[in-house]
Amino acid sequence: MNRRGFVRRRPFSTLLLMLLIALLGWVWQERVALWAFPDIISAYTAKEYCSCRYVMNNEAGYCHRYVKQWLPTSRFVDDAANKRVTVSGMGRSNSAQWISERQGCRLNP
Amino acid sequence: MFKGLSLIVMLLLGFTAHAENWPAEQWSIGPISSGPALQTLETYVFPPRDDTTRKGIRTDALLVIRDGQLIYERYAGPTTADTPHLTWSISKSLMATVLGMAYGEGLFKLQDPVQTFYPPMQKHPGVTLADLLHWASGLDWQEDYEYAPLKSSVVAMLYTRGHQDMAAFTADHAEYAKPGQAFRYSSGDSNLLSAALKNIVGPARYPDFPWSALFEPLGIRHAVWETDATGAFVASSYAYLTARDLARVGLLMARDGRWQDRQLLPKDWVAFNREPFAHYQAHQDDAVPGGQWWLNRAVEGAAQPWPDAPADTFAALGHWGQAMYVIPSEHLVIVRYGDDRDGSYQHNELLKRALKAFAQQVLP
Repeated sequence: MNRRGFVRRRPFSTLLLMLLIALLGWVWQERVALWAFPDIISAYTAKEYCSCRYVMNNEAGYCHRYVKQWLPTSRFVDDAANKRVTVSGMGRSNSAQWISERQGCRLNP
Repeated sequence: MFKGLSLIVMLLLGFTAHAENWPAEQWSIGPISSGPALQTLETYVFPPRDDTTRKGIRTDALLVIRDGQLIYERYAGPTTADTPHLTWSISKSLMATVLGMAYGEGLFKLQDPVQTFYPPMQKHPGVTLADLLHWASGLDWQEDYEYAPLKSSVVAMLYTRGHQDMAAFTADHAEYAKPGQAFRYSSGDSNLLSAALKNIVGPARYPDFPWSALFEPLGIRHAVWETDATGAFVASSYAYLTARDLARVGLLMARDGRWQDRQLLPKDWVAFNREPFAHYQAHQDDAVPGGQWWLNRAVEGAAQPWPDAPADTFAALGHWGQAMYVIPSEHLVIVRYGDDRDGSYQHNELLKRALKAFAQQVLP
């Protein structure tokens, strides 16, 4: 059985296999960016909500609408006493902390 | 002859009587405009605000300074005169102004290699401070925000892989062009400037430097500038000022770096800010890049980016519609804050209408 024979007998499998290999290659090439990607929505929401609420001093309801994006978030905790905002989404969790009058908010490591 | 002389004396007296206006603790209020030209402007800037779809023009603040006096101010949405509003990339122009103060102290030269002040840039030894100011480091940076989140360098820098040390994240990028040869707008370049400033002024002065060098001399009392985990100011994105306070920086720039009788910012620094980057090619961006400021200049035969505004107009511009326009020839500074989530807002349209409403009437 040679390669040509396999391609002729199984054209769809060949195509799928090639697509799978291309996909895996792309995943490998973009592995760093792909691994970081799910953090974006929770980190963005936590950081920009913290700044909206505790730097710009806007109301909580407004800040919720302000940070809304097309990706959903699952858990949202605004610890007003400590000015600390924790958000989960896409299986990741991130929090932002208000630091000081001059330094505003920062994402926690 | 004698009549002519006395006329000159009277003119001189008149000139001193109309001394320059400068803001004290508050801006003094100038002549208030009204009439159809103002209505035309307000119709454009303050349409009914759509908070459900977030479509269209959504202005948070519009403030106009003419001849050093506040002549117009209006707020919308949650923003008030006391709101330190996020400026996004206006921060870049603010960092350039802060750097200019260090330049005035003779602490660096424009052609100094960045690595002198920020050792991780030894990977890119040819990059100078002037290159960073021109957004011409040659680093392979991707500046998309929402539309290409996977490939976006700026999203990774602010929220994921880069947020703890934004300058180091930037320095880790590969080169796509020789330093100083090509324009590519980059928030990373701006944050390298912030990291370099730390050693330019020294780590002891750095945490207070924007306040001691710029904000306090201008009477700005409520500026916020967020940092990354290394304590470096996020020069690309995270300065917050009230519209009234941001306009003070605009007035400083409109008057070539002079604040009352002090030349706070060297004139040649402001000239550098306002000089088009030589290797910029027409239509690479919405306006022409100078030294971390945007210019309304015609380049390579292409028209001015904002045809209805004077050629000396320059601006600090940020994401979601933040803008400060400085028009020295009209003695105007215009601050516009917004929360635009689409591309409806047009700089030229605002400038055209604002100039009709606020430009000095030519005396007969």
